Amino acid sequence: MSRATPTEQGRPVPPALLGLIGLVSFAALLEIAPRIGLVPGRYVPPTSRIAVALADQASRSGFWRALVDTLRTWALGLLIAVVAGVAAGVAIGSVPALRAIASSTVEFLRPIPSVALIPLVVVLYGIGITSTVVLVVYASFWQVLVQVLHGVADVDPVARDTARSYRLGRRRQIVHLVWPTALPYVVTGVRLAASVALVLAITGELVIGSPGLGSAIAVAQASDAVPAMYALIVVTGLIGLLANLLTRAVERRVLAWHPAIRREEPA
Amino acid sequence: MRRPFTALLTATAVLLTAACGSSSKTPAAGGAPATPDKVNVGVIAIVDVAPIYLGKQKGFFTKHNIDLTLTTAQGGAAIVPAVVSGQFQFGFSNVVSLLLANSNGLPLKIVCNGVASTGVPGNDYGAVVVKKDSQIKTAADLAGHTVAVNTLKNIGDTTTRAAVRKAGGDPTKVKFVEMPFPNMQAGLQSGQVDAIFVVEPFLTAALGAGGRILSSVYAEAAPNLTVAAYFASKQLVTSNPDLVKRFAEAMKESLAYADAHGDEVRSVLSAYTQIASDQAAKLILPKWPADVNKDSVQTLADLAKGDGVLTKPANLTDLLPSS
Repeated sequence: MSRATPTEQGRPVPPALLGLIGLVSFAALLEIAPRIGLVPGRYVPPTSRIAVALADQASRSGFWRALVDTLRTWALGLLIAVVAGVAAGVAIGSVPALRAIASSTVEFLRPIPSVALIPLVVVLYGIGITSTVVLVVYASFWQVLVQVLHGVADVDPVARDTARSYRLGRRRQIVHLVWPTALPYVVTGVRLAASVALVLAITGELVIGSPGLGSAIAVAQASDAVPAMYALIVVTGLIGLLANLLTRAVERRVLAWHPAIRREEPA
Repeated sequence: MRRPFTALLTATAVLLTAACGSSSKTPAAGGAPATPDKVNVGVIAIVDVAPIYLGKQKGFFTKHNIDLTLTTAQGGAAIVPAVVSGQFQFGFSNVVSLLLANSNGLPLKIVCNGVASTGVPGNDYGAVVVKKDSQIKTAADLAGHTVAVNTLKNIGDTTTRAAVRKAGGDPTKVKFVEMPFPNMQAGLQSGQVDAIFVVEPFLTAALGAGGRILSSVYAEAAPNLTVAAYFASKQLVTSNPDLVKRFAEAMKESLAYADAHGDEVRSVLSAYTQIASDQAAKLILPKWPADVNKDSVQTLADLAKGDGVLTKPANLTDLLPSS
């Protein structure tokens, strides 16, 4: 894949610039649509008003507190889910009998939407940050677990037999054989979990009211502050974007040795 | 090349440690006179609770040896269980929700007044609004029409029925639909509903968008209606009556202060809501009398029972403060 697209003049346009052009056009569209009456400006304010509201938010200490709360809920939930998912995945995946026993349970629990557990967690943990963290953990745990299970199952049979003939112990097999094979899967699982975790962090805050950007959106809505509400929604989008960039950077670092990454040109 | 990655891990670890620090905060047991009692109150981020924010700023709670924390929740449905479980020492809820909880046997007790109607028809902070050119001229005309309320079987439909009955209409012919306050204006404009029950800041917004007040239902339902109150679990009321008394005293000072200083109420709104300052200046403020109007609570209980909102009768001596 070439990393630049030629224009009519033949000069390449960097993809970052193309991305920017896309964003600017989108913003312009959202500016014009309410102004020419395509959508009611009362409910869908033009981009410029959202930008003003965003600047106003940035000057409030409550906004920064909410931002930190959301990031904290997200990071804490994600960390617990990744550690638990990897540990459970390696343990279950390495024992074929255990794997067979667990698979039906995993397939039953996995599709339960985290949001459906909101009434339960509110009863168990109240309306604080714990409830939202539990939701985040539940949703992102399965993303990691399933990937790890696939990863562990993907070990090359020849390599496994070789390890056996060299009489490698269980621990050394996991370190030298299972882990390197599963790592690309783990990283994919983490990347999927990171975005799911953000969705659940915001949803939990919005519905339960635990502190964070989600509850700030709810307060803005209850205050009839429509542009402020959109400004906060834009912030959650930006966090999602950053989370994705971050996990991709981690992926490139951790899997630098992997053929799939090595084949890519350096950024 | 490994440095930034390590830095990232460190940053995450710091965030997590901080998270553990804040979540391990638990309210200290009351009773020690030297250290202030830590009190967590569950409120809703609406105009009604301005006095408690103002009272905290003015130091009324510190004066009564209370270290006050205000936690906003999404509604009474979230606050009531948190008060029963002891996560909050006090909570804010509308009277009909409290009557419902009481009739279902939840051990709650009102400890002081929350917010009241202005009692002035046409100039109250909650009202049923119709479009300016609507054929509906009086509350009696609502019969056969659809009214949006934020919660069904609660204070909105109960007081609206009372207003219809008072105007000589048949309240059983009014159809109520549930709709969040922020969506109501759009629902009214699109013709999805014929009238909307709104409170501030949505009342001012609806009037600004060409709405007309059909009936100030809070003012019509009972004279000087107590709309909402602060409450505690009965367990706290019996185990720590001194704390409850000090909270009620600080609250009374806060309510009186707020009632007398409308301009400060309007400016404190920016501390906990997102209401724009130009809009805050136009709001119709409620009344904040020091005491619960017990007669109005009795009227609401009778109305709610008569309409079938309450299936079992509420025990008012149990719910209302004894003093």
